[in-house]
Amino acid sequence: MSARLRVLFLVLLVAHPAAGLAASEAVGQPVAEILVSRGLLQERGLSVGQIVMLSADARGAGARPFRIAGVYEPTPDPSRFTAKRLEARLHLPDLLALTAEPGEAGVADAVGAINVALEDPSDAGAFARELGARAPGVSVVRAAAGDDEHFMIIERFHVAISVVTMIGSTAFLLALMVIRADERREIAGLLRLLGLRRRRILLQALLEGLCIAAAGAVFGVLLAAATQGAVNAFFQWRYDTTLVFLRVTPAIAARCVALALPLGVMAGLLASWTLLRRPVLDLLRR
Amino acid sequence: MSPLQFAGRSLYRQPARAILGLTGVAVVGALLFDMLMLSRGLIVSFRDLLESTGFDVRVTATEALPGLGPAVADAAAATDELRGLPELAAVVPVRFGGAAVETRDKKTRQVAIIGSETRRRGEWRLVEGADLGDGTDGGRPDMVVNRTLAREEALAPGSIVRLASTLPGREFRVTGVVEFPFEATGESMAGVTLRGFTLAFPTARRDEADLLLVASQPGVGTDAAVAAIRHARPDLHAFSIDEVLERLRHAEFSYFRQVSFVLATIASFFALLLVTTLLTVSVNQRLGEVAALRALGFSRRRITLDLLAESALLVGGGGIAAIPLGLLLARGLDSILRQMPDLPSRLHFFVFEPRALALHLGFLVLAALIAAAYPVILAARLPIAATLRRESIS
Repeated sequence: MSARLRVLFLVLLVAHPAAGLAASEAVGQPVAEILVSRGLLQERGLSVGQIVMLSADARGAGARPFRIAGVYEPTPDPSRFTAKRLEARLHLPDLLALTAEPGEAGVADAVGAINVALEDPSDAGAFARELGARAPGVSVVRAAAGDDEHFMIIERFHVAISVVTMIGSTAFLLALMVIRADERREIAGLLRLLGLRRRRILLQALLEGLCIAAAGAVFGVLLAAATQGAVNAFFQWRYDTTLVFLRVTPAIAARCVALALPLGVMAGLLASWTLLRRPVLDLLRR
Repeated sequence: MSPLQFAGRSLYRQPARAILGLTGVAVVGALLFDMLMLSRGLIVSFRDLLESTGFDVRVTATEALPGLGPAVADAAAATDELRGLPELAAVVPVRFGGAAVETRDKKTRQVAIIGSETRRRGEWRLVEGADLGDGTDGGRPDMVVNRTLAREEALAPGSIVRLASTLPGREFRVTGVVEFPFEATGESMAGVTLRGFTLAFPTARRDEADLLLVASQPGVGTDAAVAAIRHARPDLHAFSIDEVLERLRHAEFSYFRQVSFVLATIASFFALLLVTTLLTVSVNQRLGEVAALRALGFSRRRITLDLLAESALLVGGGGIAAIPLGLLLARGLDSILRQMPDLPSRLHFFVFEPRALALHLGFLVLAALIAAAYPVILAARLPIAATLRRESIS
């Protein structure tokens, strides 16, 4: 079981840590250690081993010295990826001592939340009920992982944009196929005169549409796969995060191809059918 | 026959191609229009929210945005000092907290609590009952609740709310139902006085404020008020609404701005490609016709105008259809994004502005001109005699 304080704001003072350090050493107390986030280290030009002063007061009152023992990468949070992660991790007693006001003994033993790992995660419901009965006023919230609502909503938004793009692409594709069919109007007429049936010519159009759609879909997937690194690099640089924004997975590639192929075939068939249903002489412009 | 009429007949001659072209431009145009609305939608909507409170300056302890940094210490003294400035009309300290409230079925519910003074401007809007008073009814401080909390817990003026997060449980009396400007959909919120706040959060530090809301004197202006605060209290940080929005634009809201930029670029390119392809193929199929028109005395300028008119009809027709289509699509996309947790229910991602419409039209005019460029070059450079000869042989 571990305990942590809820989000807490501290003020970092790096200008003159010597006074606090001297005071700390004078009373024989070792300087407590902290970890700082990579963002904070870079933003404030800190280094491992450096002594910094931390205070819970915006003006720096009651600041205490801490030695930076290491740097950590904060777990990427999709709901806060646009915010700079200027964070530090303290040992709980150090944090409580830093934030408690003189005379507030109760606060020095108060935490905002307690993380609990159950032997069997399926017992979470029963555990919440039991704890609620034993300790009224305690709120039990199950930690969610991997199903962040922000992710799901952003995904829904992107799917909606994809649908709109697909409708536009289909209109474009249909227009191209109509033009292409129109260009081959006389050839289609000649083939009909030579004895080829409508079905045979439509089959040819179907295969042609399939080839064009397959080539387009594969090109699209390859382009997305080739550029995903650049897109991720840009957003990771822009937001200073390790979150992955774009990933072309086999499932997405398969979905893309599975949507593109029938659309291409249908566009080819539709365009050809509008032409082939006309009389042969009309096709030959006679 | 004018170039526009000529272009209209040219499109009418091939209706399937024209309709598909118009449909394609309308769809990508709608996407472009939406992305232009998205690029500034959050900022415009957030400005409306901030301005609806009646306060044009926010004062915090550090550079962090309100609620995201340390609280202002000695808040009472700071408030009094700022109230003494002639540039300021009102200064109201505000505190934020989260507490557990006992529900009807004896469970608990998380409620966001705002502590403020009774002398207010627009931190919330009264919907039913009475506003907060300084007095207490039988030791129960006043509380106003939002509609979500009132509906789900069947609260009305006179109801009692019992906090489960204090020991012993502290009771408040509901005086009214209000609407908070920043309340999220489905979020339970309550407002109490600053004294009530200290009772709801006994372990919270005394005499602190997460935020000081400031209204400048009418006629003085926000900038003068901000300057006066910075001069009087250089240890505090004062932000005008414009400064808050500028920070949000570069940080919290930047993702959607960038997404909208990328998608608007793709949509513009797509529209351009579509119209260029249609016009180029159309010209290629009509080379003989163009050469015959030139031989009949049509000038290069006239041919150019005909093609420009055809491009304008395709892009213009699709672009006009894109506006209602885009507004409809924006409603759908907005409703998806507004499902994000913790977002103020009055915040919108897609907001119509005349600026977005002007930009949309500007992009379309540019697309029409660029799309017509290559076909125009093809037609203008056409060797008349050779083309006619080739056409007659084939």
